[in-house]
Amino acid sequence: MNDASPPSAGGTAPGDESDRLLHGLATYAVGLAFALILTGASFWVAHSQALWRPGIPVGLIVLAIAQMGVHLVFFLHINTGPDSSNNVLALVFGMIIVFLIVVGSLWIMANLNHMVPSMQQMMNMQP
Amino acid sequence: MLGRLTWAAIPFNEPIPLFTSLAVILIIGSTLAWVTIKGYWPYVWREWITSVDHKRIGVMYVLLGLVMLLRGFSDALLMRSQLALSVGPSQGFLPPDHYNQIFSAHGAIMIFFVAMPLVVGIMNFVIPLQLGVRDVAFPKLNSVSFWLTATGVLLINLSLFIGNFARTGWLVYPPLSELQFSPDVGVDYYLWSIQIAGVGTVLSAVNLVTTILKLRAPGMSLGRMPVFCWTALAANLSILAAFPVLTATLALLTLDRYLGFHFFTNDGGGNAMMFVNLIWIWGHPEVYILVLPAFGIYSEVVSTFSSKALFGYRTMVIATMAICLLSCMVWLHHFFTMGANANVNGFFGIMTMIIAVPTGAKIFNWLFTMYRGRVRFSVPMLWAVGFMVTFVIGGMTGVLLAVPPVDFQLHNSLFLVAHFHNVIIGGVVFGIFAGYTYWFPKAFGFRLHEGLGKAAFWCWIIGFYLAFAPLYVLGLMGATRRMQHYDDPSWQRYMQVALLGALLIFCGVLFQVAQLVFSIRHRGKLRDEVGDPWDGRSLEWATTSPPPVFNFAVLPDVRGGEAYWDIKERAVGAQALAAEPDYQPIELPKNTPIGFFLAFCASFAGFALIWHIWWLAELGIAGALAILVALGSRRDNEYVVPGTAVARLDRERREARDRALLALKAERISDARAAVLPAETDPHRLGHRDAKGTPMTAGEAGPASKRVVSSFGFWVFLLSDIILFSALFATYAVLGKQTAGGPVPGQLFNISSVVIETVCLLLSSFTCGLAMLAARRRYAGLVQVLLTVTGLLGASFLAIELNEFAALLSHGAGPDRSASLSAFFALVGCHGLHVAAGLLWLATMVSQVRSRGFQPGVERRLMCFGLFWHALDIVWVAVFTIVYLFGTLR
Repeated sequence: MNDASPPSAGGTAPGDESDRLLHGLATYAVGLAFALILTGASFWVAHSQALWRPGIPVGLIVLAIAQMGVHLVFFLHINTGPDSSNNVLALVFGMIIVFLIVVGSLWIMANLNHMVPSMQQMMNMQP
Repeated sequence: MLGRLTWAAIPFNEPIPLFTSLAVILIIGSTLAWVTIKGYWPYVWREWITSVDHKRIGVMYVLLGLVMLLRGFSDALLMRSQLALSVGPSQGFLPPDHYNQIFSAHGAIMIFFVAMPLVVGIMNFVIPLQLGVRDVAFPKLNSVSFWLTATGVLLINLSLFIGNFARTGWLVYPPLSELQFSPDVGVDYYLWSIQIAGVGTVLSAVNLVTTILKLRAPGMSLGRMPVFCWTALAANLSILAAFPVLTATLALLTLDRYLGFHFFTNDGGGNAMMFVNLIWIWGHPEVYILVLPAFGIYSEVVSTFSSKALFGYRTMVIATMAICLLSCMVWLHHFFTMGANANVNGFFGIMTMIIAVPTGAKIFNWLFTMYRGRVRFSVPMLWAVGFMVTFVIGGMTGVLLAVPPVDFQLHNSLFLVAHFHNVIIGGVVFGIFAGYTYWFPKAFGFRLHEGLGKAAFWCWIIGFYLAFAPLYVLGLMGATRRMQHYDDPSWQRYMQVALLGALLIFCGVLFQVAQLVFSIRHRGKLRDEVGDPWDGRSLEWATTSPPPVFNFAVLPDVRGGEAYWDIKERAVGAQALAAEPDYQPIELPKNTPIGFFLAFCASFAGFALIWHIWWLAELGIAGALAILVALGSRRDNEYVVPGTAVARLDRERREARDRALLALKAERISDARAAVLPAETDPHRLGHRDAKGTPMTAGEAGPASKRVVSSFGFWVFLLSDIILFSALFATYAVLGKQTAGGPVPGQLFNISSVVIETVCLLLSSFTCGLAMLAARRRYAGLVQVLLTVTGLLGASFLAIELNEFAALLSHGAGPDRSASLSAFFALVGCHGLHVAAGLLWLATMVSQVRSRGFQPGVERRLMCFGLFWHALDIVWVAVFTIVYLFGTLR
């Protein structure tokens, strides 16, 4: 339990990076480039007239997820190495929960609004 | 000057709260006076208040929970007596207004301030001992968590003396809890006390998850951990998943009440159902957060008192993790009747029933553990057996309620009340009492009196059935919950039986108090000399009772599934302890008052916010921030226990164990020899590590380095933060279109400024990454420059965002205009707050690098800061896509 023990004891720390300077620099530069390209693509897709309109929301979501992946890999250095399995498992757990909360809420609330009149509608119903 | 606080807030004309208040003040006052007269303050301050020892903190949690149990239980007695009297023409002795406060307080206190502190306290005490390590991952944070919980307790109890408590039920459903219908301080007491305690709970979960995943004795792979550690891991993961949602939900209601937002209001496009949805996303996992550790306690107790290894270890682990995940997919069963169609109700009903499968598997595992074991019916075992019978009944009624059509008949009835008391008392409370009796000798060095404990158990279990069986019947007869008065005289007999049951439970409580007092007075006779009073099987029994501050003189070398049992059987078989180890000096964290001071500020801030005393609130928050900055730039404060002191303490322990070994019966020795010999020749059976010296995997190499521990802990914290954001995203997705006739946010966005904002943030992440690279190479000057650039980019992001907010406000498009704008401001503002907090943190990092260079502590915090700053980008990607791009799609 001190800093002198080898870094591999107990797995890799999230955010740990390569010891080689050039490699490190390259990682961040590539990450930034990808992030800027994906961001640019998102803004362009959203406001371009040249694309098939109904496909745009899906496209935006795909671009956003791709960019989050880029940030995780290039900036947060999350990889699939054997030592970082705890980091990845924690991430996967978190993502499952996020998915359940967002999709579950949307499904439930869409359904409730469908079945139950809103307060405004109920007031209109009163004679 | 004092906001809403006037003399009218003191209940002079209500005798019950007034006399209770006076009695409580008298008890607290005389306790404090006694401590002062005896001169115990230096001891209390040094050994308890400022302690960072997980054992002390665990004991304080349990004490807090037990005291609050008395408070919550007295509420229960009041309600039962009221209902035994209040029939027909009689109105009983509690007016409706007071009765409503009592049932709301009873629920909130029992869950948040009894069950939670007891469970967290037991986990805190036991986990590091069972894992064979010296403390939790972040001892100072542990103290902070405890004191924040204590702040919550203080605030909720103040509501008894000053002002009043919520009358809304324990989950403060809007619109009743909105300002329009609950204009006074009751709901505010609820919000702030639970919000502050909830933050403490999340921090404690971060701590325990990191401890279990990163700090274990050498050889203690995950698959060799005691089942209690597994259930604690599952429970703490559930806390990380669920509590951020609670925090977000209560924060949204707070915004409604304090700043006129429209999340759950009747007007402005708000939707109260969203509150119900969100609060149960927390509420259902919460049930398992409480009961899973209790399952772990039963596993330990049943195995120990049956003198057998736990049956079906693997199924136990799989069932635990399955429950952990399934518990996040069933929340709608708490509101089947609120308008969802058959598909939704059917899905959640079936998911709910599926949870009964892993739970049922556990019951069979415990039964098979007892089968052909040498069962000793000591007090912990009695609680465990009582649990198995009671919990099965509670589980069955739960499966019944999981059927939506049945739920339509029984929801909000006393049947439901009986069901959840059946699982929470029969599951959680019995488990806590089992654990309390089981680990008490480990904590204090003497056992609790057996006879009084048995008397308490029988009073509790018989009282329980008398109190709740009539409620099942009444529920089927149509009696509703939260009912202060009823007209049907035929119900009264059942109510009287229920009161009798409650009084019998009261006798049980009295026996428990008597047991504690008697055991303390006769502790000489009940002393546990050896440290292993129950013939235990896991590592906490390998050390003395109470354990030394460092827990273990030398970290144990774990060779198999039942770590201590293996060590013990070898010693018994050989009639000698293992050779004396080489004692090394031990480094331990120093005590710190930081948690106590933080709680001090939080208490004042909370109280001031409840009463709208704004200057005091600002003072309290500023104080808390200053303490957080201090916490974020503290130096590693450690002291060393010299090797000679370690050796002296451990030799005493070995002498006691030697004496115990010699006193064993011949039969026991031959049993141990018979058990050890085949195991010696069959490495698979004890799960030996490969004798050829295959390198150990990371999970077996012993505790991880501080660097790994702190950044993993922060990683886990970030995940819970992302989950908080996901609740805000869900709210935005649901309410984003509710504009109440006002402007749509999309019409007001300036996309080009969003582009500039985004580029600023992305560039700042890049420079932050470069700063991390420079830090690895110890370029102090470069690190400061790069961090400053990061800060400037972050500040420009924030400036553009504030400018946008100002523009919206000036167009009359503030958060009080509509639910849509409320959701927008909450989501984007929460990200902005994170950036602002990041800037403050960044400033402290720059000054630390400047003044102290790259000390290990500074380096670790720098790494965590990097993670934080990069994570803000990820959230922002989701924000600009969902809010800005989707908002401006045509």
